[in-house]
Amino acid sequence: MRPIGHPVDESRAAPTRARHEELIGELRERSARAALGGSESARTRHTARGKLLPRDRVHRLLDPGTPFLELSPLAATGMYDDAAPGAGIITGIGRVSGRECVIVANDATVKGGTYFPMTVKKHVRAQEVARENRLPCIYLVDSGGAFLPLQDEVFPDRDHFGRIFYNQAQLSKQGIAQIAAVMGSCTAGGAYVPAMADETVIVHKQGTIFLGGPPLVKAATGEEVTAEELGGGELHARTSGVVDHLAADDAHALEIVRDIVAGLPPKRQPLWPVREYAAPAFEPAELTSVVPTDSRTPYDVREAIARIVDGSLFHEFKAEYGTTLVTGFASIHGHPVGVIANNGVLFGESALKGAHFIQLCDQRRIPLVFLQNISGFMVGRDYEAGGIAKHGAKMVNAVATASVPKFTVVIGGSYGAGNYSMCGRAYSPRFLWMWPNARISVMGGEQAASVLATVRRDQVEAKGEEFTAEQEDALTAPVRAQYEAQGNPYYSTARLWDDGVIEPADTRRVLGLALDLARHSVPEPDGYGVFRM
Amino acid sequence: MTTPPENATPPQSASPSQHPARSGAAPAASASTGPADPLFGTVLVANRGEIACRVIRTLDRLGIASVAVYSDADAAAPHVRAATRAVRIGPASAAESYLNIDAVIDAARATGAEAIHPGYGFLSENAAFARACEDAGIVFLGPGPEALETMGDKITAKAAVARRGVPLVPGIAEPGLSDEQLVAAAGQIGFPVLVKPSAGGGGKGMRAVHDPAELPAALASARREAAASFGDDTLFLERLVATPRHIEVQVIADAHGAVVHAGERECSLQRRHQKVIEEAPSPLIDPATRARLGEAACETARSVGYRGVGTVEFIVSADAPEEFFFMEMNTRLQVEHPVTEEITGIDLVEQQLRIGAGEPLALDQEAIDARLATGGHAVEARVYAEDPSRGFLPTGGELLDAVLPAGEGIRVDSGIAAGQRIGTEYDPMLAKVIAHGSDRVQALSRLERALAETALPGVVANTGFLRLLLAREDVRAGDMDTDLIDRLTAEADPQQLAQPVTEEHWRAAAVALARSELDQAARDDQGPPSPWAVPDGWLVSGRRDTVITLSRAAGSGADQGEETREIVLPAAALAAGDGSAPSAEFRTWVRRIPGAVQATVWVGNAAFERRGAQTSLEPGAAGQRITAPMPGTVIDVRAADGDEVSAGQPVIVLEAMKMEHVLTSPGDGVLRLATHTGAQVAVDEELAAVLPPEDSAADNPGPGTPGSDSPGSGDRGAGGPAQEQPPAGEGG
Repeated sequence: MRPIGHPVDESRAAPTRARHEELIGELRERSARAALGGSESARTRHTARGKLLPRDRVHRLLDPGTPFLELSPLAATGMYDDAAPGAGIITGIGRVSGRECVIVANDATVKGGTYFPMTVKKHVRAQEVARENRLPCIYLVDSGGAFLPLQDEVFPDRDHFGRIFYNQAQLSKQGIAQIAAVMGSCTAGGAYVPAMADETVIVHKQGTIFLGGPPLVKAATGEEVTAEELGGGELHARTSGVVDHLAADDAHALEIVRDIVAGLPPKRQPLWPVREYAAPAFEPAELTSVVPTDSRTPYDVREAIARIVDGSLFHEFKAEYGTTLVTGFASIHGHPVGVIANNGVLFGESALKGAHFIQLCDQRRIPLVFLQNISGFMVGRDYEAGGIAKHGAKMVNAVATASVPKFTVVIGGSYGAGNYSMCGRAYSPRFLWMWPNARISVMGGEQAASVLATVRRDQVEAKGEEFTAEQEDALTAPVRAQYEAQGNPYYSTARLWDDGVIEPADTRRVLGLALDLARHSVPEPDGYGVFRM
Repeated sequence: MTTPPENATPPQSASPSQHPARSGAAPAASASTGPADPLFGTVLVANRGEIACRVIRTLDRLGIASVAVYSDADAAAPHVRAATRAVRIGPASAAESYLNIDAVIDAARATGAEAIHPGYGFLSENAAFARACEDAGIVFLGPGPEALETMGDKITAKAAVARRGVPLVPGIAEPGLSDEQLVAAAGQIGFPVLVKPSAGGGGKGMRAVHDPAELPAALASARREAAASFGDDTLFLERLVATPRHIEVQVIADAHGAVVHAGERECSLQRRHQKVIEEAPSPLIDPATRARLGEAACETARSVGYRGVGTVEFIVSADAPEEFFFMEMNTRLQVEHPVTEEITGIDLVEQQLRIGAGEPLALDQEAIDARLATGGHAVEARVYAEDPSRGFLPTGGELLDAVLPAGEGIRVDSGIAAGQRIGTEYDPMLAKVIAHGSDRVQALSRLERALAETALPGVVANTGFLRLLLAREDVRAGDMDTDLIDRLTAEADPQQLAQPVTEEHWRAAAVALARSELDQAARDDQGPPSPWAVPDGWLVSGRRDTVITLSRAAGSGADQGEETREIVLPAAALAAGDGSAPSAEFRTWVRRIPGAVQATVWVGNAAFERRGAQTSLEPGAAGQRITAPMPGTVIDVRAADGDEVSAGQPVIVLEAMKMEHVLTSPGDGVLRLATHTGAQVAVDEELAAVLPPEDSAADNPGPGTPGSDSPGSGDRGAGGPAQEQPPAGEGG
């Protein structure tokens, strides 16, 4: 282990920091807006019924003052006419009665808590987090079921609505507790959330569970019945047996849930012990001073690592070889980690080094942390001839098949095959977060525009015509605009390509939280695919 | 037999104060008795609690071995630990232990005790016990059995002291007095007078007459009322002692006929004749009256050939403080003896031991008077395990801690310790807090502060009420009488009598609870602190508050309920404290149920509950029906249709599967029966409903048709009272 990092060079840091702060300001503003949930009138109606707002429900469930690692709080941003802040559902991980749990809470102030496509995706993603990390699930149900105008994007496919209940059954089978508290309506398909749960609470004279609501019943059979008679707590607690506990109000229901969690069997033995650790020698808050917001600006990524790992101590591996990829051992909040960080474009050597290091960590059961800032693999005749495709493939193979937990933070650009080899979303990192300055697309907007312009120029000039600067501009401007919009982290997080946009200063804490979850559930190593040598 | 060692001479420090700094403040009463007097080798203390501890303290100081006795309930009590030896004398019941003369004598014999100190209460004024000691050759540290017997009976006591010219409340009580005779007697008795019927009681027929001119009319009406009420119009007259104050005098008498007094104590602050706050000297009494009172008290002692320390109680009207009347004599050490000790520097227990050993009194009256003149003022408050907000009902529980005050002028006599279970077997007094000052104002201020520094978490106590009393203008001014507390408790909202609970208390409770939850989680975590345990309210964006819901008993009697609050704590409130220790009033203790959310938090003397999942549904909310849990036969109905029933009250007994099942009311309300004894019932069949009182009132057509409105069950018994019209075919 060697100390790394240098004090911030104030003469150069100020503009970078200012740009970061601007971006963080935007993130905070967006987050605060989304955190409100539905309209003020919807929220007032909700609380007037004696119900707690969904965020208050989640916070009350948690142990005093402890963190809530919310997942994709900005889901559905810019989608559905911005009518579904946070996709109408709050998901995340928090400590309940001393035990980390996945919490899924419908927001009835957003279209009655109905499920938009992104709502489904967010719910299913939360269950995936629960499965991978073996975390008990708590569902705070208050939802009218599928959002009917978009039923085709919500109902039929593999990862649509039905997957929620499939997951509940699978998770329960694996011994991952499924706990539901019905705190509002729970209609049609939604009725299966409590019904599929291991242990269910309902709020008296507030929660209802039925397959068909009173209007549907009247239409179908002519029977006139109130919601409470049809599926109230009294009925389900005393007669139908659909629920197990009757609560006086929201607060009481949450206390019952806390009691249930307190009685769960303990976590599995962790794979690695947590060691005593020191804070980084350099403040994590300085990340905004040392990492440029523009991914094209070169810098030494070790300055970032120094502000994330314990004691700013790093045991670098192959420092002199494949230098555009930095690999090495460190610890975060006492958890051992293998860090893989980009320090420029990937060459064949960097890819080989990465593949080697991933195998090494897998062998030693050390989780991997990827700090992504990658424009892609090097192109050109010499590199193709050198087999960069097969070297890249080796790293992608290793990333895809390593069995230790992986965590990815996109701290700059995430482009092309670089995204793959650096454990993009498709490579199932346990969690993936982006910084507000991050960009993600198949290639940079500028590159895409010039590729397109080159192709078109060739076509035009082949016909003996001239490709004017005006024509080139007309062709490339929309491309640039498209890449700018779609490469934006908010476009990404809206679609759950990530688990959220985090402030750079929180990177160390977020990784610590995630590592602490992951260590209780690590699959046995089971080899790799064929490495193309 | 144990022979006292040659060097058994007591240290010449007589102050009973716990505080070494003060122990030399007053010279010992025994200072002049010389070093050669052997007292006792071993003394048994036939008592428990604070008085046993207090007696043992003096025994320790005098180098005398102490023997404690204890019941099963007190096996680990502080007095047992304080004594040199301890002997079990029986089960928890006082009758079988502390009141068991044979067991106590046996314990004394077995341990070679030469004397027994009886404390107060229990056997302290029991003549049979005093005789049993005599018979066993053991010194009883109290008066002789004859004095105990004479003073133990009010009539013989009054007769004895009257012969010595000790004033009694003037009056006339002879059969067959005419109105004229009574009017004539009234002149001698002195106004105001109280007209009392010979028969009856409870104040019925009594008349207070302040003006002689009104007496004939009062007598006539009192006679009419007595004749009508009791069939006996005999009337007595007695001086009415208006604004009565309780003044008592400490006397000390040796076995050689010397009697002195150690000044008076005032104990007018009483609740239903139970003393609450006592002081010495009385703010009412001037030196001349003190001398006369003292002489009357000494005469009282002489009237029965008294030996040892004793107390003569007088009643004095605040309107005429120079006039006092004998009430009774307490032939033992009083609970409130410390206030006298504090102002005189005399250790009364040491005096008992010396007198018991046959020593002559070492102090004469002049010397004691000199001490009284410069002794300042002392006030004692009795800390009881009782709840002022609930009619002073005895409480109990396990003491989580015992935070007792200390400091300049503060003495605490207690027999409690952290972890001790306070039951209801014995007296509910937990401790006495005594403050001594150069004057009354200083003593009261010190006592008030000392009580603020007292915390007995785990047991509801009256410290808040004591502080409230001490803060009163009239008490501060010395303007008190024996009815003051009873008037106050009759008029005040019971909540106002308890420890005032402020926002700050609620907040402290919430913080303590939150911290205890975090500590529990930290213990469960292995290795260094988990980032999941950092209580800074971190969110992906922003910081969150913590909301803690706590409840606390509120109201009393019929209005008894709970106050529940949600306390919002910003993240900063949960960060580690700044290391400064809070005052006793805001110190916290948390008792948690492992593996559950429920907890009790004490902030000083105030208790808060975290109900957690225990919260009950609102009354009248759910399933106010009684249904059959299985098929069976109703074999008993224990409440009638229309009866008021309360939650948990047995209503119906069902025989099923050869077992009896008692079905209870699910809530409070009015019972509507839908079954009857002998009925065969099906599973889930509704047997009764409990309607909220207001619903049942609307439901019921009128008082003329009680129970005619058979409740909702529809399928049986509808149309008539169930008991009159059993459904056909179910008689067998």
